[in-house]
Amino acid sequence: MVLDILAGFVYSIIVYNIPLLYGTVGEILNEKAGSLNLGVEGTMAVGAIFGYLLGCRTDSLFLGILTAAAAGALCGLLFAFFTVTLQANQNVTGLTVTTLGLGVYYFVAHAVHSRSNWPMMQDCPSIVKGFSEIHIPLLSDIPYIGKAFFSHNLFIYLGIFLAVLVWWYMKHTTAGLRMRAVGENPGAADSCGVNIPRSKYLHITAGCAIMGVGGYYMALHINGEYLASSGWINGYGWIAVALVIFANWNPARAILGTFVFGIFKALEVYAGSIAFAFPALFGWLKAVPPKVFTALPFLITALVLVLSSARRSKKSNQPAAIGVNYYREDR
Amino acid sequence: MKTMKRFHIVRREGVSLRRKCLYYVIAIFSALLLGALLLLTCGVNPLDYYAKVFTIGLSTARFPAKQVENFLNALVPLVLTSLALSVAYKMRFWNVGGEGQFLIGATAAAAIPLGLGSVGGTVPTLLLMAAAAMLASALWGGITAFFKVKFGTNETLLTLMLNYVALYFVSFLGETKGKWNFFLRTDSDRPIFASVFDTVAMPALRIGDFSLSLALPLTVLICVFLWFYLKKTKQGYEIAVIGDSPGTARYAGMKTGWIVVRTMLLSSALVGLAGFFKLMTSGSLSASITDNVGWTGVVVAWLSKLEPLGIVATSVLICVLRFGCSQASVNVSAVDSRFSDILQGVILFAVLAADFLLRFKIAKKEEAC
Repeated sequence: MVLDILAGFVYSIIVYNIPLLYGTVGEILNEKAGSLNLGVEGTMAVGAIFGYLLGCRTDSLFLGILTAAAAGALCGLLFAFFTVTLQANQNVTGLTVTTLGLGVYYFVAHAVHSRSNWPMMQDCPSIVKGFSEIHIPLLSDIPYIGKAFFSHNLFIYLGIFLAVLVWWYMKHTTAGLRMRAVGENPGAADSCGVNIPRSKYLHITAGCAIMGVGGYYMALHINGEYLASSGWINGYGWIAVALVIFANWNPARAILGTFVFGIFKALEVYAGSIAFAFPALFGWLKAVPPKVFTALPFLITALVLVLSSARRSKKSNQPAAIGVNYYREDR
Repeated sequence: MKTMKRFHIVRREGVSLRRKCLYYVIAIFSALLLGALLLLTCGVNPLDYYAKVFTIGLSTARFPAKQVENFLNALVPLVLTSLALSVAYKMRFWNVGGEGQFLIGATAAAAIPLGLGSVGGTVPTLLLMAAAAMLASALWGGITAFFKVKFGTNETLLTLMLNYVALYFVSFLGETKGKWNFFLRTDSDRPIFASVFDTVAMPALRIGDFSLSLALPLTVLICVFLWFYLKKTKQGYEIAVIGDSPGTARYAGMKTGWIVVRTMLLSSALVGLAGFFKLMTSGSLSASITDNVGWTGVVVAWLSKLEPLGIVATSVLICVLRFGCSQASVNVSAVDSRFSDILQGVILFAVLAADFLLRFKIAKKEEAC
């Protein structure tokens, strides 16, 4: 009984928060190449709406993912064009990508909703099938653990795979090393023959493509229900920006970070019922106001940021040239 | 030997004001043109739509005076927040914590009438509220400045995080009933923020149907003051030097650390004041009281080149778009009210592109390989 609840709890944390991992891994690729992209929210929204509409139109999950990635990549291209080629301020450009992205999201959603039948996910058998949980022989049958960790849909495994892949790429490949050099000291990287604009364009675009897929997941996860008020992304993109710092710019740690943020998000809603179910162990949860759980990840992230700068710690992976544009003739 | 032709970009100096204005006008027009194409795809007449937007819906309004009032009430917080942020940006201090500072300011201001009641009449209460708002958000912003100076903490990321802490703090106040929580109404079982209007109201000048809130002239005054402060005083000069070259500032014997903290205190105090003004038009707190001005302000300040007059003009443009589009959407159901986001985004990108053309020129480079 207790384990049942716990397994369900872990399961739902993963299912609800995996988009954060996509957003975070994408943003790490941006930031490690020296670009602080505050357009995550907008990029995810654009990926979500186009992925959903085209995916449902063709009833193909694969095409949906591809469209979402392409739409996200387009947002990244826009950001890269303005910050790398046109030397525009990164904060301003990122915020503008978010504004424009959300505008496009609402505009397209409203236009489709008001003029034609809003495509329903239930009418797309192959998407529903593709989005359903995958049964892995043996692993899924492990009591409790199988339910918590091994009975998820495709996107969960894809997200974790992408995180590990990006981690490996950054840590163990020459291209990854060069990209980190661009984020640390573009001048030095340039003098070693690294093509700075190309590296930035490439990693920003790839990162934003990953964010787009994360947005698509959010659309599917609420069955593509049309939302006129809060939108599908609902602040997840912003949380991803925080999560990057929490994960210390490490994609593998982002997996853990997503889970920790997820626990706090879940506690905001379920703390009361957990306290009720386990009065002896978790009774104290009742006394904590729910919003404390929501705020805690951000507070911890802020503390991590301050402490790591205070100790000038070698362990911090914050890119030195983050947020600074590179203009060769200023070198 | 092969010669290779390629293009590269070089800095451009001394562009005339006329040329700048021309570029910006072209940018805005081409963005509106793109918007018009989008409107056509929805089967909406762009001219009609834009007419509604740029007259902020006055043509169809039943209470035009009230409409203008609402517009000005939306404009004041944006202008003041952008101005305040621009002060920090002058020294290249990337304060993106406008949202949080705004919320903290509004909360502190609300605490006075809701917690203490009327303190010796309207004027003392209002003064106390303004002081509380400025002090609280100055401290909130000061945290980041302190750590930036002391440890070199990245101020963009830290202010970003503190935005959320402030946001959830206000949500927490709004949903937690308790004896101590004087922010909520006592006559309701559900948690609802109490209104400060029961205790105090902003003095306003009545001109016929139209009432001009005191916040507007005050904002104009602050704008003039900031122009003077940044351009004509020693402190303003110090800020400019730090922005251009922190090394030079230190070499010249300026106390750069203190100047950064002092300037950030001023910047965030003014954001707090904007929060107070907003509270005096909305009446009660809410987590969405900021109306995103903390974010929009970043963009406005930067696009206006941190010039006070430019900030006012840009704010008016953005406010007209937002307010106008939400008014137009009442009559035009085919277009979402958030169409202003698209217009705003496209205009900003067009202006950023114009900026590039003003700052750089593309030169042909011939080099021997």
